[in-house]
Amino acid sequence: MSLEQFKNRNVGVQHYRMLDLSHTPQTGWGQFKQVVRRTLSLELFVGLKVTLREMTKALFFGKMHTTKYPFEKLPVGPRYRAIHEMKRLLESGHYRCIGCGLCEKICPADAIRIETAYGEDQRKQVQEYTINFGRCIFCGYCAEVCPELAIVHGGRYETASEQRASFSLFDDMLTPIDRLKEQKEFPGYGSVSPDADKRIHKTPLAY
Amino acid sequence: MSIREPNKTITVTIDGQECRGEWGQTILQVARANDIYIPTMCYLSKVEPIASCRMCVVEVEGVEGMILSCQEKAVDGAVITTNSDDLYRERQNITRLYDVNHPLECGVCDKSGECDLQSKTVEFGVDQQTFAARDQHRPVQDWGFISYDPSLCILCEKCVRVCNEVVGDEALQISVGGYKSTIINTKLDQQCAECGECMAVCPVGALVSTDFKYTANAWEMEKIPASCAHCSSGCQLYYEVKHTSIDNPDPRIYRVTNEHEFSSLCGAGRFAFDYANEGVQQDARAFDQAVTALRQADTIRFSGVITNEEALLLERLREALAVRLVCDDAYGYQRFLAAYRSISGSTLYEASLKTVADSQAVVVFGTRIYDDNPMVKYHMAMASKHHKARIVYLHPMEDARIQNLVTQYIKYEAGSEEGVAALLAATLLAGKTVSDPLAGVLDNLDIGNLSAESNVGEEELDTLKRSLWKKEGFTLIVGADLYNHPEAENIARFIAAIERYSDFKVLIVPPATNARGVAEICTLSEAVEGYTVGYNAPGDFVLSALGDGDLDMPALNQQEGTLTTVDQRVVPTHPALPYEGYTLNQLANALGVGSRYTIDQTPHLPRDKGYKAIAFDDLPDYFDALGGEHRGYLLSPGEVETRDVFSEIEELPAYDGLVVYRCNEGSAFGPFDARSVHRKHEAVLKGSEQFAVAARLKGGERIRFELDGESYERVFRIDTTLKGTVAIHPVWDRGLSAFALSSYRFSQLKFETTGNE
Repeated sequence: MSLEQFKNRNVGVQHYRMLDLSHTPQTGWGQFKQVVRRTLSLELFVGLKVTLREMTKALFFGKMHTTKYPFEKLPVGPRYRAIHEMKRLLESGHYRCIGCGLCEKICPADAIRIETAYGEDQRKQVQEYTINFGRCIFCGYCAEVCPELAIVHGGRYETASEQRASFSLFDDMLTPIDRLKEQKEFPGYGSVSPDADKRIHKTPLAY
Repeated sequence: MSIREPNKTITVTIDGQECRGEWGQTILQVARANDIYIPTMCYLSKVEPIASCRMCVVEVEGVEGMILSCQEKAVDGAVITTNSDDLYRERQNITRLYDVNHPLECGVCDKSGECDLQSKTVEFGVDQQTFAARDQHRPVQDWGFISYDPSLCILCEKCVRVCNEVVGDEALQISVGGYKSTIINTKLDQQCAECGECMAVCPVGALVSTDFKYTANAWEMEKIPASCAHCSSGCQLYYEVKHTSIDNPDPRIYRVTNEHEFSSLCGAGRFAFDYANEGVQQDARAFDQAVTALRQADTIRFSGVITNEEALLLERLREALAVRLVCDDAYGYQRFLAAYRSISGSTLYEASLKTVADSQAVVVFGTRIYDDNPMVKYHMAMASKHHKARIVYLHPMEDARIQNLVTQYIKYEAGSEEGVAALLAATLLAGKTVSDPLAGVLDNLDIGNLSAESNVGEEELDTLKRSLWKKEGFTLIVGADLYNHPEAENIARFIAAIERYSDFKVLIVPPATNARGVAEICTLSEAVEGYTVGYNAPGDFVLSALGDGDLDMPALNQQEGTLTTVDQRVVPTHPALPYEGYTLNQLANALGVGSRYTIDQTPHLPRDKGYKAIAFDDLPDYFDALGGEHRGYLLSPGEVETRDVFSEIEELPAYDGLVVYRCNEGSAFGPFDARSVHRKHEAVLKGSEQFAVAARLKGGERIRFELDGESYERVFRIDTTLKGTVAIHPVWDRGLSAFALSSYRFSQLKFETTGNE
């Protein structure tokens, strides 16, 4: 669609069409007649028709549309960006985070802090990891930059808290080890694209 | 091709741009000087071209094939192309080969973000590996303070070269074995210099600091330019600072880096950075007490670990309060310099670290240079490796650690320095026209007697004299043994005479960080008198940056200011860590002589001593593309009236029996260095087996002795690399009293055994 018709400000030659509305009564008698006509023709119930139908369904057929929050919650879309989750490796159960610090660097709200150290297993060990949800803007950059699909967004969207700064620690976000089987991949930004198999080239090995 | 002529400017065309250079410069140097980029991988400015990576290839018109720009000299009129499709492909292939089997662990690698291989991989678009090489098991090696990961190593050889050519330690070698080649540390058991230079020049994450490993990323830390505060070299460095932890937002120094392409650091500079006086708050009561103490003080005693500005404030306080200034670190040095100047006629000595490195003959006298000033030793190593310099080392104790550099060791008896200086002067000035008073003294020397007493054989001096034949560039390095010698002034005159009448240039190594600055700025007295306020020194009221005094002071990495270095250069340093307490400037303000900030003093440093009226913020602090140093400024030379007076040499003092030598071994520079948790030194009395026999001591025995009015209790250790009956006596662990020693470094030892370790 071109923008031509919006740029043309010459109102006179445009094809305006007047709506076919009845005339507003000008006299007192005319106004009285309009009130009587509208009152007796039961136009009100035409407007209430849908409401009454739904009320009947709710009252007599048990088909209720209201969600009783917080006792009931609607599911959110899988790509919704809510409170973060830290994933584990499915085979070993070890946390996926390698402590590279890219999420800390990319975070535009400066909400993430990470502390790492040389671990006994010669790996980079995450000693502590925090996200300040008082600052987090849920932009999803951390999940997108994460090379290990370790930090992702989850579906927990209730972020209200008593204090302005509300921290989440590593263990709070990490998948509990006993619920590893239920761990699901995040399909949002930063996840493996559906055609990843086609785009990945295998590195040749000499063994 | 035009004719090659030395000392000529040449013009070459690089990528269509006309570039000027000097004859003798390589193509790469000319290009860099003219801001033209040639990618390199193994090139390191401070060592000879390594030529292992072949990344720096260029094309030269009329020459077939590709030329290595790092080692090929630029020829006048040459037309050079630094970038073409062929060159790009060549470099891309080199990068591909480097990338084969290189672990994809950038995510955790300490080097990530400042890694040369990473940059080149991105630059040449190597995004996949199309061929393979059989990988092998290459476990990470723990070299103590450094970890070596052979699988990350690209064998560029920078570390090996820097260890050999710059540090002179010869600890690292390449174990050649084709694809199995690795770097090996041959001095794992005997301790290498532990300087961390290899780690600094490593372009990838193969060599990393064990303490730093995996604690922070390169991009997170703020680089704060500063000058090292441990010795008088005042080396350029960056304190890399980041918040301490998640809970603690206060900055902490994580590591020290430097412009490793051009300058170097020793172990103290690189690892002993955690000496700040932390957690200090303003204590108004202590401050008032300090002001009162200063008002009633007869003496202010201070250490040489101080900025020029603070030294100037102390001098102002001296004038205002009519107190004596005592700086044990600098007093002897100041006297020595004054005596030296009375002969040389110039305020500056002629040598600098660069002249040492460019020398073909270096004579070291009166200093255990390996420990006293590692940077001087590095430059001796450069002279040795790059110019095959003769290195003559005169000292009562042979130093096994620099055996590989020293071509002639001349042992003299402790205490006989005056005789040795006279003998040196007689040797080096033989056949030269000298002033009458000097000629009188030299002609009257009883050489046989001096030789016998000092134990320096005439034939040794002949060898020394002969070895200088056909050499160019001579440097004489003198050090801290001489400054507090009873006859220091006469020694200084002989040293100055050598400089004045021969081709030797003299380097008078300052004995403490800013001893030179203090010697220039302050009017010093010899000894403490009456009520004493100590600033980083013992006293009745102590201002201390170690946190153990009556009023806290900032350490040198919490202060801004300037230092005067061994190069006679005034270098700026910046605070890496915050400091909330009071400073000397505030005390001076309370006494009516301070300024708004300490650095407001910088332009007021004494101009008659060679300082310039340049504001602190206007001091440059960088190296140019070819490594030219633009840090601060060099002291301007001044003339001094000469007084040609030499004293006759009296009887040389004899130090018989057991002698100890005050020396902080392993460049453990003192109380500040001692605070570092990264450095692992042991304060023990170290002697040779011969010493142990003479003293009837066994290794591990605990002894007590008194020296300079201090009582020491030390464990005795036998060090098989030492010889003779002189033991090494460290004082770095003694807190502030280590800054209050101004006696001659050798002393006779009387001790009592107090048991075993």
